[in-house]
Amino acid sequence: MPTVAGKRRNVRFPFAHLKTAPLTTAQKPQKQTQKQNQNQEKRPDTRSTSSQGRKMASQAAPHPGTPALFTQPPPIRDPLVTETTDLQDATLSKCLPFLKGTSDLQKGPFNASGVPALQRDDHVEYLYDSLEDYPAGFVAMDSSRPWMIYWGLAGLTLLGEDVSRVHQRVIASIRPMQNPTGGFGGGHGQISHLASSYAAVLSLAMVGSSDAFALVDRQAMWQWLGRLKQADGGFRVCEGGEEDVRGAYCASVIISLLNLPLDLPPTSEARLAGFDNLTDGLGEYLSRCQSFEGGISGSPGVEAHGAYAFCALACLSILGPPENTIAKHMNLPLLLSWLSARQYAPEGGFSGRTNKLVDGCYSHWVGGCWPLLQSALDGKPQSASAPSTTVGSLFSREGLDRYILACCQHPQGGLRDKPGKHADAYHTCYVLTGLSATQHHHYRTDSSPCANKNFSSAFSWRSKPTSADENVFEKSDRLTAFHPIYVIPHQAAEKMRLWYEAEPFAT
Amino acid sequence: MAEGKYANDPEWESITPIQLDDGSDSGAMPLASIAYPSEYLEATSYLRAVMAANEMSERALRLTEDVISLNPAHYTVWIYRAKILFALEKDLLEELEWLNGVSLKYLKNYQIWHHRQVLMASKAHFPTIPTKELDFLMEMFAQDSKNYHVWTYRHWLIRHFKLWDLPRELEDVESLIKADVRNNSAWNHRYMLRFGPREDAPAAGMANAGSALSTADEKGVLTVVDEDLVDFELEFAKAQIVRAPENRSPWWYARGVLRAAGRGVGEWEGFAGKFVDTHSGDVRSSHAVEWLADVYASGEGVKAVEMFTLLKEKYDPIRKNYWDYRIQQVVV
Repeated sequence: MPTVAGKRRNVRFPFAHLKTAPLTTAQKPQKQTQKQNQNQEKRPDTRSTSSQGRKMASQAAPHPGTPALFTQPPPIRDPLVTETTDLQDATLSKCLPFLKGTSDLQKGPFNASGVPALQRDDHVEYLYDSLEDYPAGFVAMDSSRPWMIYWGLAGLTLLGEDVSRVHQRVIASIRPMQNPTGGFGGGHGQISHLASSYAAVLSLAMVGSSDAFALVDRQAMWQWLGRLKQADGGFRVCEGGEEDVRGAYCASVIISLLNLPLDLPPTSEARLAGFDNLTDGLGEYLSRCQSFEGGISGSPGVEAHGAYAFCALACLSILGPPENTIAKHMNLPLLLSWLSARQYAPEGGFSGRTNKLVDGCYSHWVGGCWPLLQSALDGKPQSASAPSTTVGSLFSREGLDRYILACCQHPQGGLRDKPGKHADAYHTCYVLTGLSATQHHHYRTDSSPCANKNFSSAFSWRSKPTSADENVFEKSDRLTAFHPIYVIPHQAAEKMRLWYEAEPFAT
Repeated sequence: MAEGKYANDPEWESITPIQLDDGSDSGAMPLASIAYPSEYLEATSYLRAVMAANEMSERALRLTEDVISLNPAHYTVWIYRAKILFALEKDLLEELEWLNGVSLKYLKNYQIWHHRQVLMASKAHFPTIPTKELDFLMEMFAQDSKNYHVWTYRHWLIRHFKLWDLPRELEDVESLIKADVRNNSAWNHRYMLRFGPREDAPAAGMANAGSALSTADEKGVLTVVDEDLVDFELEFAKAQIVRAPENRSPWWYARGVLRAAGRGVGEWEGFAGKFVDTHSGDVRSSHAVEWLADVYASGEGVKAVEMFTLLKEKYDPIRKNYWDYRIQQVVV
């Protein structure tokens, strides 16, 4: 039964495969609705399971301009076969024809580096569709609608679309999600959640109107954050919910963008733990999330994971200059080693954990860690322009660009985890975010537009496009730059912060 | 909305459902809207009403089960359900039984595992771990041996019930590593059993983390070391490396063990060297090459650069920029 006034719109169903996103509250809908794609994507599995001489699927010659690094299996492969190698070999078989440019499911055209063009128009169309109506089978997305709005708006913004034209629709959608006790839930009548609130606040920032900013009840938000703050320094994601690194990151984004007071509300139970501020003990909490591998887990003691690594490093980069906060709370040599090991060849993309598969979404979660770590290594900014000496890129931009453009583009629009998977708005947003990050150099300056000094370093980031001789993609494939912490345009983050700085806050 | 299983049920007569506000009253079309099935719309309209009244009742409990069956990703209904279970003093073992079925059906669901933790955290109901709990977790791992939510819950369990030395914990980890020596989640759990902070120390991935008394460089280094345990774990790692040398998990486990003991990577120079014959070009593990590079980095710069160069040019060239960075840091 339709719930929206007016006539139903006919749309494609882009969420047929939606993997559980680290930040979302949703789970994969069980229903497969994109039959046509499924058939087109089915590839014969020619992988041999014998321990000796495991072969890769495609024997066709690679597209000219493609280095052997991206067309050959890795040089050392153990004979012992386990579930992990079975999955890894299957993934390689699926990726190699795409990396070589020999798959008939790729659109092209291919450039001199053997890299296919970004199907910009297809992705724009896909994302506009993703913001429209979903059939009943998508009921599992009911608590993730703020995310769907964020992913759609962010993806479109990266592709150069002006999303301010839907600002009334954004406000109408998000208004009923706000609770009078503070924060936004996944929908009307759902309790407030930090992930929903993060997606809602960033969506309002992207449309960027005063109406949108005025929608947020900051006093109630501040009170609510005070109730989520825990005695160990971290944040629960909702009242009665779990505490993890997502909570820490989403809370810090909200506190800094809305220019909330740092003081804990007088009634906050976290005061009993000796804390005075919302951010007290937060760096120490994140420090306890670093595992012996060097990466960062969702909560202390669990396995290191790429998505949580981004949340933790971005949170530390809000709390203060990364050369102070990241260097103080993280063992940097361990972290660098683990992060670097997330990039695989020949795939070129990133995995989220040791011995797991590449996935396009880590283009952002893992790729997004690099500018933050590079800034930490470069040290205190000395000028308003890019630093004259820098540690530079510590990962392969070329590898990631190849994985994204060759493997992650769905022939019918939208981007995906890997070949053989459906596209969805989550992957479309974060694969494009990762591509944008490879197309820019991100750095901090010694100046911030903020009058309030709290978190001023987070607002000092700037970017410049990479030079043409560094790139394997074409000029026409360029995307808008995103702020490496807030994952929206720099000016959108800045405008929101300055608007709230000018608004009085009555505690 | 007058038709429906709740509207027609006398038990629910006293409740005025709260209809969904999707924002369309403003005249603007909401974004990413869903054509909800009518039974979901009705059930959630009653859910909003009983939640607004904070009703703790049998009928509200049944309603939460209904909503969960229609959409298990609805995090709000799980939190409300937990509250009702405690308020009505329900049999939580029965709840766990029901939860087992739901968990096996929705393997990727977040909410189920937090709900389980909320129940299990009740000392009044569960002074000790229920006997079948670890069996059920192994059943989950049979479906997905790297399921992040289940491992997160299991880590919480060992801390909550102080199970670090329970033989069953190590047995389960070993059987999972035996089945797939590349199961990094199992390696992480083993590290936490052996070297994780215990008792009153806050939960952490490494000892000494997030403390005002130590720096980030000192994370993971134990103050009291059981050298026999350390040696045992190093031998275990060696045996697993021999099975599959190009497997990052045991190499990095061994680094963590040596770090905990305050012992350097140098003592494994001979072992790592077995996998690297640079003269014949027979190299069976890039992790062994990296190990040797780290051994040589303090004192034998030229040899360290040689190893990093092998990684950069031959065995792990996608990470060229990182290996170059490591080379720059070596004092030749």
